[in-house]
Amino acid sequence: MPETADLSMELRFTEAYRRHYHAPIAIREAMCLREQFPSVLTAIQPGDLLAGRIQWGLVGFSPHNNPPESGYGYYCDERKIIRALEKSSVPFDQRERGFDMLHFWKKETSQALVEAAFDDRMKPYLFRDELEPLPFNYKPMVAQPIYRMAGVFVNYTKLLNLGIPGLVEELQSHQKAALDNGQDASLYEGMLIALQVFADSCQYYARHAQELADHAAEPAAKAGLQQISICLQNISCQPPETFREALQMSWLYTLMCGTLEMGRMDVYLGDFYVRDLERGILTKDDALALMRSLWRLINDQFREVDGRVIIGGRGRPNEANADRFALLAMETARTYGRAILPQLTLRFYKGMNPLLMEKATELIGEGHTYPLLYNDDVLIPSVQFAHDVPLEDAEQYVPLGCGEIVIDHMGFGTPSGALNMLKALEITLHNGRDPITGKQMGLQTGEFHDFRSFDDLWEAYKEQLRLFIEVLADHEELEYVITGKTAPYLFLSMLYDDCLPRNLGIFDGGVRYLGGSLESYGNVNAADSLTAIRQLVYDEKRFTPEQMLQALHANFEGFEHERRMMLDCPKYGNDDPDADGMLVELHNFLCNTIRDQRQRTNLHWYLDVIINNSQNTTLARWVGASADGRKAGMPMANANTPSGGSDKKGVTALLNSVVKPSPAIHAGAVQNIRFGRDLFTNQREKFDAILGTYFDKGGCQLMVTVINRGDLERALEQPEAYRDLFVRVGGFSARFVDLPRDVQVEILSRTTY
Amino acid sequence: MGIIFDVQRAALHDGPGLRTVVFLKGCPLCCVWCHNPESYSFHPQVSLNIERCRLCGACADACLWQAHIVSVGRHVINYELCDACGACIDACNYQALQIFGQQTTVDELMPEILADLDFYRASGGGVTFSGGEPMAQLYFTLALLKRCQDEGVHTCLDTSCYAPQDAFTRVLPYVDLFLIDYKATGSELHKQLTGVPNQTILSNLEYLYQENARIILRCPLVPGLNDQPDHLQAIAQLGIKYPNLQGIELMPYHNMGSGKRSRIGLPDHLSGLKTTSPDVIENWLTQIRQYGYDAIRVG
Ligand code: SF4
Ligand code: SF4
Repeated sequence: MPETADLSMELRFTEAYRRHYHAPIAIREAMCLREQFPSVLTAIQPGDLLAGRIQWGLVGFSPHNNPPESGYGYYCDERKIIRALEKSSVPFDQRERGFDMLHFWKKETSQALVEAAFDDRMKPYLFRDELEPLPFNYKPMVAQPIYRMAGVFVNYTKLLNLGIPGLVEELQSHQKAALDNGQDASLYEGMLIALQVFADSCQYYARHAQELADHAAEPAAKAGLQQISICLQNISCQPPETFREALQMSWLYTLMCGTLEMGRMDVYLGDFYVRDLERGILTKDDALALMRSLWRLINDQFREVDGRVIIGGRGRPNEANADRFALLAMETARTYGRAILPQLTLRFYKGMNPLLMEKATELIGEGHTYPLLYNDDVLIPSVQFAHDVPLEDAEQYVPLGCGEIVIDHMGFGTPSGALNMLKALEITLHNGRDPITGKQMGLQTGEFHDFRSFDDLWEAYKEQLRLFIEVLADHEELEYVITGKTAPYLFLSMLYDDCLPRNLGIFDGGVRYLGGSLESYGNVNAADSLTAIRQLVYDEKRFTPEQMLQALHANFEGFEHERRMMLDCPKYGNDDPDADGMLVELHNFLCNTIRDQRQRTNLHWYLDVIINNSQNTTLARWVGASADGRKAGMPMANANTPSGGSDKKGVTALLNSVVKPSPAIHAGAVQNIRFGRDLFTNQREKFDAILGTYFDKGGCQLMVTVINRGDLERALEQPEAYRDLFVRVGGFSARFVDLPRDVQVEILSRTTY
Repeated sequence: MGIIFDVQRAALHDGPGLRTVVFLKGCPLCCVWCHNPESYSFHPQVSLNIERCRLCGACADACLWQAHIVSVGRHVINYELCDACGACIDACNYQALQIFGQQTTVDELMPEILADLDFYRASGGGVTFSGGEPMAQLYFTLALLKRCQDEGVHTCLDTSCYAPQDAFTRVLPYVDLFLIDYKATGSELHKQLTGVPNQTILSNLEYLYQENARIILRCPLVPGLNDQPDHLQAIAQLGIKYPNLQGIELMPYHNMGSGKRSRIGLPDHLSGLKTTSPDVIENWLTQIRQYGYDAIRVG
């Protein structure tokens, strides 16, 4: 018996949308939110010290935290609804209206509206006609559109300082001013309704907690639930006064506004935390327990590549208190145990309270992958240039999800496209054709054998890339335009700078900076392939273009010797001037061309990001063998990391390579590195010197993992997954997977947890 | 011009800080426990990693001297015939063959040495010339040392001290720290374990010490081979005799280099040796302390 899918919320939501179809979009959205909340909020679970869990509907509204594969904004989870209707698990009286709802949203979801607006230039490259629902990345495309409004960082400080009453007051005064000036005030009206929805949701949870308390048998549990109830009751009608209230309010707002980021938490919670400690109404242990509860909620509610909690760095007005909170956050991560989320992110700078970095290193040494380290001394000037914002705004940079940098509650910039650099090179070698499907995927820039010199090939590649970059930039702009016309995203707009005074929604001209980013994948493999082609085909003339293509088409089957020669060409990551030089040249072209799109569009910034998620694997599935020696379908190198095992000169050479591409022309690049525990524990000063020098030389970011015995055992089983693991062997640090089996086993026996 | 067999960057154990170690090829000694057997000969050598070999026979076809004997389940190199021309290495598609030993020059090496300058400065590191025996390529070593000193790179010389005294007189001004091996006590045993007697070594140590060179004495210890009480006592006595040493370090045997021997056609007589256990190391330390030298440490 399939479980019944009750669509009543979805139907009410749809009904509200249709009823207010011609109403101002702020009112329409507010009415929809009223149907959505608190209906989608779910029960407090045993052990929760904070209220706030969500089960999104199959139809609904959210910028980012939507159910997977359902789009963004006004979304509709078509597949699930169809499945429910087909399996007859929908109550009988809802079936007819269920189909009607499905038909209605087909053309009306935010994603459908963007797709309908594609211009002729976009259609052939973004595959308008056969856009598959997610996972779109299983298709052999060069450029992929991404649908989401990711990287929402609302102004929590304002939220917590004003509370609901303060915000209502501010909105009312704007509303009055607008009306007095004869302007449209529907935005403020919508926001006031949305705030009421938030207040109602607080009260809903307050009642729910009280009910649970009434039924709780155990006195401690009862008291705990009563505390939750009182806390929610308080914030529903007054500004938060305690750490607990502030934490509760920020979490519930996070969930309801649909972001997957927690922002600069030490900035907005530091004062509450320290004040409660000093007043003696909170112990450190109480605070830790609350934080661990938050950690659990984040792990339950967020997706794996999101969920940033950011601490440390410049531009924190209450630095001393923030530092104390930052230490609490790290202690939370330490005592919570290894978890995928939240992605605790430490911004640091020269002169910052050294306790923070010490604590961070302690965590890393214990084998936690967090905090991720962000170097303000490099990043602030980089952001200032790349994003083109003044210093004080650059100090408020925040990395979202996978690492794209935006500006806290001032500058929005969702990544809305992915560019497969290696696929672009593959089609460049085939006159714009995809050799796998035979489809024309790009421009006709000439066959490989037509290129007289490496420069000809390079020019052709750049032409292809420029096309896809332009299409993706236009797509980003279009996405904002349509999104801005569709909804003001009330929960965002009321807490994003400049929306209120401008009387405009965040995507409709309200936010101070509206930027965007493009995720590029396969940069390293493309650069290494170009290095190999330049050397083997043009400089040394070891193969003709035809011979090279023959070997690639055969996936090196019968061309083992050719493959060996390609593998032996210099590779990025060894401090080699040729290979690193090629990567830098490609990096400069790519990043600058993307950055220049702001001249063609209305985006304040449009920047490349070189990040780290599973797309290096999924996008690679449909890329044939490449001239760097990579076989067809095999993963591409992750972010800026050298491709698997090709950095052979040790960690200093690797880091020297990594700092070569400029950080000041993109919106984030991710570096991963793993060290064996022994190097970390017994050679601590050297370990610190490695990191310190890397950051001094301009390293902007690093994710360090210190590996323990369990990891080594896994590395032994699946060496491919542990290519970036360094261990100390005898007197040097070596790549674990390159060591002979017996040595690996030996190290395993030596390392203790 | 000299011959090296490796450059190891980010080395942690051959002197202070993070170091780049240049391994010079060729050594007048042949210690039974040597971790770098590819360093004995002053000539390039072919190495076969049998784990990677697919027995395809391409190397045998490529070799003009028929030095490769590839048959069913078996592949050996007749080193008598091989002149290290490298033809077979290009022929192998599976990275089973490698050549150890590369002629190089100071100018070729310096960029790689200087590339990690920032890391040296941050960690108090520098460059270490090791081997093999760097003193056996005196002029090359000397030229490298001079250049490094000019560039402000801290220099270590890892040497067995088996070289004429006037060679040391020449390198002395350019070496910031000597890493000197003290391998066995008693000339007979020394000869048995390393192939040479130890008088020269001791007199060079004395000479360098009197010239105020900064020295760390390093004592490779292999359980059952050279860890006799009289050797441990002699180590303690050296520590007492030379109070201004920068330290004496024990280097307990580990079996990480043993696989390399068979790859270059040397008998793998060490395969039975196990990495030293912590108990044994503790026992050595206790004994040396009992002989009156407290500052002993493990390298
Ligand atoms: S060519 Fe390589 S794989 Fe083939 S037999 Fe020789 S060493 Fe073995
Ligand atoms: S290096 Fe030259 S001589 Fe020696 S085995 Fe190989 S091909 Fe033959």
